[in-house]
Amino acid sequence: MTTDFVATRPSAASVVFRFQSLFGLVAVFIAAVVFSPSRDGELLFLSSGNLFNVVRAMSEIGIIAVGMTFVILIGGIDLSVGAVLGLAAVGSAVLLVENDFSLVPAVLLVLLVGLVFGLLQGIATTLFKIQAFIVTLAGLQIARGLARIWSGGQGVAIAYGSDPGEAPVAFSLLGERTFNGLVPIPALIFIVVAALAILFLRGSAFSRHVYAIGGNEQAARLSGVPVTRVKVIVFGISGFLAALAGIIHAGQLNQGSPNDGSTYELDAIAAVVVGGTSLSGGRGSVVGTVAGALLLGVLNNILALNSVDTNVQLLIKGLVIVVAAGLQGLRPS
Amino acid sequence: MDDGVLVRLAGISKSYGGVKACRDVDFTLRAGEVHALLGENGAGKSTLMRVLSGDITDYQGVVVVAGAEVHFHGPADAQRSGIAMIHQELDLVPGLSVAENIFLGREPRTRLRTLDRRAMLRLTRELLHRTGIDLDPRRPVGSLRTGEQQLVTIAKALSLDARVLIMDEPTSALTAAEVDRMFTVIGELRRNGAGIVYISHRMDEIGRIASRATVLRNGAVVASFDVRKMTATQAAEAMIGRPVQALFSTHDDAALGEPVLAVRDLVVTRQRPGRREPAGISLTVRRGEIVGLAGLLGSGRTELLETLFGAGRSWQGSVLLHGKPIRPRTPRQALRLGIAFVPEDRRSLGLALDHSVLANTVLSIVDRLSVLGMVSRQREQASVARIVRELQVKLASVRSPVSTLSGGNQQKVVFGRMLLTSPSVLLLDEPTRGVDVGAKAEIYQLLGQLAASGVGVLLASSELAELVGVCDRVIVLRGGRTVAELPTAQAGEAELLAASMGEVVPL
Repeated sequence: MTTDFVATRPSAASVVFRFQSLFGLVAVFIAAVVFSPSRDGELLFLSSGNLFNVVRAMSEIGIIAVGMTFVILIGGIDLSVGAVLGLAAVGSAVLLVENDFSLVPAVLLVLLVGLVFGLLQGIATTLFKIQAFIVTLAGLQIARGLARIWSGGQGVAIAYGSDPGEAPVAFSLLGERTFNGLVPIPALIFIVVAALAILFLRGSAFSRHVYAIGGNEQAARLSGVPVTRVKVIVFGISGFLAALAGIIHAGQLNQGSPNDGSTYELDAIAAVVVGGTSLSGGRGSVVGTVAGALLLGVLNNILALNSVDTNVQLLIKGLVIVVAAGLQGLRPS
Repeated sequence: MDDGVLVRLAGISKSYGGVKACRDVDFTLRAGEVHALLGENGAGKSTLMRVLSGDITDYQGVVVVAGAEVHFHGPADAQRSGIAMIHQELDLVPGLSVAENIFLGREPRTRLRTLDRRAMLRLTRELLHRTGIDLDPRRPVGSLRTGEQQLVTIAKALSLDARVLIMDEPTSALTAAEVDRMFTVIGELRRNGAGIVYISHRMDEIGRIASRATVLRNGAVVASFDVRKMTATQAAEAMIGRPVQALFSTHDDAALGEPVLAVRDLVVTRQRPGRREPAGISLTVRRGEIVGLAGLLGSGRTELLETLFGAGRSWQGSVLLHGKPIRPRTPRQALRLGIAFVPEDRRSLGLALDHSVLANTVLSIVDRLSVLGMVSRQREQASVARIVRELQVKLASVRSPVSTLSGGNQQKVVFGRMLLTSPSVLLLDEPTRGVDVGAKAEIYQLLGQLAASGVGVLLASSELAELVGVCDRVIVLRGGRTVAELPTAQAGEAELLAASMGEVVPL
C-alpha cells in the first residue's frame, strides 16, 4: 500500500478526541459559570475565594493523580496511594508534634517513607510477578495499618509554636496561606509537580521506556528496555507523590489522622481516566490528568455551591466518569 | 446452483477513511477447488475475505452464496452459511485447552445440559487424529508454539464442517512435514466438495495445491491465472506491478573472517513449560557470514536465539563473542555487548503497535541519544531518517502509528531498531514471515549488505528455500541439539529436510 494509507492531516474529530479532557474541562467550566448562584450580582463560582477553594481542594488529588498517571502508563495501577497519604499525614503530625523534629528532617523522612513504600511495592510486583492490583491492594492495608500503629489509632492534632509539642510555624504555610496573595501553596506545589512531570514525560529517555512498557512489555524487554528497573522506579514515584500529598493534607487540616485519604486512590484513578489515559497502558499524558483533575474539582465545587444533595453529587460524578471513558472507546485508533 | 459455484462476490468495494482497500472486486469460488488469492500485504486480500466471512458488514457490492444473495451480519452468521475463516492473527484463548478452544461457544452438552467434557475430548482427539496433529487436547493453548497454535486453528475450522474455508497464510509457522499433512487434509476436503480460498506468499505451495489464482494489487484484481500455466515470476510481477529482480542476493564468500560468535555445548538446565530448550548446542558464526538455523517445530531454534540474547533461562557451557566469554542475563546486556535480535512475531514481541514509527525505531538507543536524560529530538530524527532511507521503509510520516504500515514495513522498523544498536552479531527468528515478496527481497539484500560489512548473522527459518538461498552454512537442530552442519554450496532443501527429520546425510 502506498503512502496515502495514513491521512496526514488530522480530522476535526481526531483533534477533539486528542484533547478530549481539555474540551471537557472548558465545557464543565462554562456550565459552572452558567449554573453558578450569585450574590449581590457577583457570580459565586468566579469569586477569587471560590476559585482558590477549587484549586486547593484538588491539589492533593492532582498530585496523587500525576503519580498514578505514571503507574497506569506502564499498564499498572496503584491502589495504595490514599493509604500512603494517610500514613504520611500521620507521620508528619507525629514527627513534628510528638518527636519534636524540625521541619526539614520531618518532611524529608516522610517523603522517604512514601518513596520506599512505593519502591517495595514495585519490587513485589516485578520480582514475584504479582499483579500490581493485588500488590497495591495489600499495600493499602499495610499502609493503613502502619498509620494506625504510628498514631496510636487516633488523629494527632498539630499546634504551632516554638515550644516542645508544637510544630514549626512554617508548616502552617501549607494551610491557608497563599503565595503573593494569589495562589494557595498546595496549588503551587501541585503546579510545580505537574510541570516537572509534563516536561519529564515529554522528552526523557526514561519516559520513552515508560510508554514502551505500557505499549508492549515483551517488545520493550527485547528492545533492551530495563523493564524491572523502570517499573520499580515508577511505583517509587507514585509512593513519593502520595507522601507529598499527605504532608500537604496534614498542613491543611492541622492534624494527621490514620483514616485520612481513604478512597482518594479512586478519585485519582478517575482523574487519570477522565484525562484520557488508557488503563491498558502506553497511551496518555499528565496534561490530560491535570485537566481531568481540574474538571472533577470544578464539578465538585459547582455541585456543592448549588447545594446539590451529596448522594446526587456522587451519581453525577459517576456518570461523568463513564461518559469520559466511553468517549475513549470511540476514539479512532 | 450454477455449475458448482459456491460463492460469487461481485463489485465488492470497501474504504477505510479515504483509502480504498477494495475496488470493485469480482471473485468466484467453485466446489472442489483451491483458489489462491495473491497480492502484497495491503493489496486487499484480507479485506475481501473479511467481507466474505462476515467480519466486515459495511461494504458495497453483492455476495452470493449457493445461488442466493446474502448480507452477513457477523462471522457467526457466515458460519451458519458454511463459511469459515482461519485468520492470520490466531484467534485462540490462551488460557483454555486445545479442546475447549476448538469447541468454544458450541460445547457438546450432556442430557442435563452440563458440559460434556468426555465427548469434547473424544471429538477433539478424533479431529486431531484425522488432521494428523500430535497434540494433547487438554494442554492449554498458551503453552503451544506459534506453529502448533496454527494447527489448532485449522482443526477448529475443520470441525465447523464448512463448505467454504478461507485460509489466510495457514502455513506461515508450519514445518515442511506439517505442511504436507495439511495439504492431505485440504485434498480430502476438496474431494468432499468444499471450496478453499488460499492466501499465501509461498509460490511453491500454491503450485502444489491451487488450481486457480487471482492477483490483487492496490485493492483491485489485476490478473487471473490457471495455476498449471502460471510461473512464479509471472505471479510475482503481477503482484508488485514491475519486473522482479533476483529474490536472493548473494554475497562474497571470500570476505569471511575470524569467528565473532562461538557457542560450545550450550545446555539450559531448567525447561520452561512447552519449550524445547538447548540441550547441547555448538556452533560458530564468523565475521561476514550468514549462518542458517534449520529444524522442525520444537527443535529449539527460537529458544537458542533467546538464550543467546539473554532472554531465556540460565545455562551451562560457553559462549564466546570475539573470543571473550560472555553471559548476557538480560536483552539489555546482550545489546550492550553487540548482540541484536529480531524476534519471531513482530506484533506480540516486536512492536508497540499504537506507538509511532519514530518511538518504535529509536527505542533501543534512546539512552544513547540523550543528554542529561533528555532525548535529543534532532538526533532521534536523524536516526529514524537514516533507517527509513537505508531500509526504504514506506510510510506517510514517522509520527503515524506503526500499525498503519504494511507487514513488510513493520518488520523493517524492528530490523532498523536493531541496526541502530550497531551490532556485531545479528540473531533473526523467521524475519520474513508474513512479509510480501518485494519486502522479502529487500530484507535478503539487507542481510547480504550487513554480512559484507562484517556482521555475523544467525538466521532461523522454517522456509528451506530461504535458508538455502541466503545462508553460507546451515546448522540443523533436532530436540535442542545440533545434529548437522551443511554448507549450502553442496546441500539443498531436500538434504536440510532430511537432516531435520533425523536421517543421516552423507556428505
